[in-house]
Amino acid sequence: MTVTSYTERAGHKIDETDGLSVPWSRPSPKRKGVSARAVSAVTILVVLALWALSARLQLVSPVFLPSPIAGWNKFITVARDGFVDATLLQHAVASLWRVFAALVAALAIGVPVGLAIGISTIGRGIFDPLLEFLRPIPPLAYLPLVIIWFGIGEPSKILVITISMLAPVALSTASGVRGVSQERINAARSLGATQQQVVRHVILPSALPSILTGLRIALGAGWSTLVAAELVAATRGLGFMIQSAAQFLVTDVVVMGILVIAAIAFVLEFTIRRIERVLVPWAGRE
Amino acid sequence: MPHLVLDPHLVLDKVSIHYDGQAAPAVELVSIDVAKGDFVVLVGRSGCGKTSLLNVAAGLVAPARGRASINGKPITAPGSDRAVVFQNDALFPWLTARENVAFALRLRGVRPAERAHRADELLALVKLTDAGDKRIWELSGGMRQRVGLARALAAEPEFLLLDEPLGALDALTRERMQTTLLDLWTASEVGVLMVTHGIEEALVLATRILVLAPGPGRVVRTFEPGFSRRYASGEAIRTIKADPAFAVARGELTDAIFEGEAA
Repeated sequence: MTVTSYTERAGHKIDETDGLSVPWSRPSPKRKGVSARAVSAVTILVVLALWALSARLQLVSPVFLPSPIAGWNKFITVARDGFVDATLLQHAVASLWRVFAALVAALAIGVPVGLAIGISTIGRGIFDPLLEFLRPIPPLAYLPLVIIWFGIGEPSKILVITISMLAPVALSTASGVRGVSQERINAARSLGATQQQVVRHVILPSALPSILTGLRIALGAGWSTLVAAELVAATRGLGFMIQSAAQFLVTDVVVMGILVIAAIAFVLEFTIRRIERVLVPWAGRE
Repeated sequence: MPHLVLDPHLVLDKVSIHYDGQAAPAVELVSIDVAKGDFVVLVGRSGCGKTSLLNVAAGLVAPARGRASINGKPITAPGSDRAVVFQNDALFPWLTARENVAFALRLRGVRPAERAHRADELLALVKLTDAGDKRIWELSGGMRQRVGLARALAAEPEFLLLDEPLGALDALTRERMQTTLLDLWTASEVGVLMVTHGIEEALVLATRILVLAPGPGRVVRTFEPGFSRRYASGEAIRTIKADPAFAVARGELTDAIFEGEAA
């Protein structure tokens, strides 16, 4: 393959507006009767069909890519008979428990930390650098240290997931707190609210939409960290299931596990959006 | 020296306000005395420090010089004896209209049934009897300001501080809200300190109008229009506004506000 030289390119004249009018940045007029949802459905069907076709024609060895049917059958058998000493449901419950335990811990720590950052200069001075330090580190990097400190038991796994959730919860809370309108706070104070009452009755509810957004992001982050956490001598959990299946080259279980993780993540996201609509119906309507 | 007062008085005594990073003071040597039953209105062009003065009375801004006091006690922080109503209603969207009104009572630990009852009374007073269960975003601008007023009254303040409460409303709603304000003022006998841009509004509502001029903010004229007293003693608002004396007063007030602007 030859590299196109600049002189060759110069022949093709590019003026300033060309850069702005690339086809993918142009908002195309909405075509009648075509919804994004329908296009998404078709896309998924096409991917499934291609997958099935390539498996059917044996373009790729089943060891590398089992057919969708094999994945589905595996789903049924693992759900019924289990894999590595636990049924699919038990694996899923083990994983969900870890994520939710971590979520509770992350909220218990992250919301007060976020409040401290948003309300007080000292709080911001203390926690901002710590969070900014923690935030960009991939969970796999601090996992070994957590194991050295806390062993390979359940607490280590929950701790790793908690750490990955902490920054999104705390930073979203802080940004929510900073966004509270001063007029609202002044109104409460002029109605006789003490500092604590302002926090409890005005700042916290005002920041709730932000906190829930943080929770949603945190759940995504935690769910991704899960697999890493479960690589550590777990005996149950979806991440563990995939990991052990990979060691025995049981690729259909690996693929099935990935899809189950994706499906659960989708359901969680959907549920939280529902909760948001019930809990903070005023968000975006002020 | 704190002078002894028997009647409730909200007093700003030779107050100057100086904001950080600004060379000139925003307000210089302004004195305001609001007694119980007074309706004092601050008018003036932009930048004359009307809202700053209101914030000093509210305890939200500390004066650089001079004293602010309520019933002889210095004002150092906001308090429910001086409830504020803001231009943007500053209502709490996570609460219903009734819960918003009951907010001050909730802060004081009043029992739920009792505070709901009191809130409904106040909602009736501002003519929002059926709106108690409504969410804030379901209310119109005028209704929201009524809720804001009821919420302020629930704190049982001795003084109401109104920061352009009708500024964001359309002309018709505004006119209707003026009579609501007068009715509330007559019924509750609170002292009112209000900031407005509306010349007619000032004349209709005030027992006393302080005209402020900018650069630095200071009081240049004082009027005692007396139209609100006439409303309180039963005269219709339209009759008052149609009175030739009203037109004369409007002319005088307008002249006072724009005096020296050409300079």
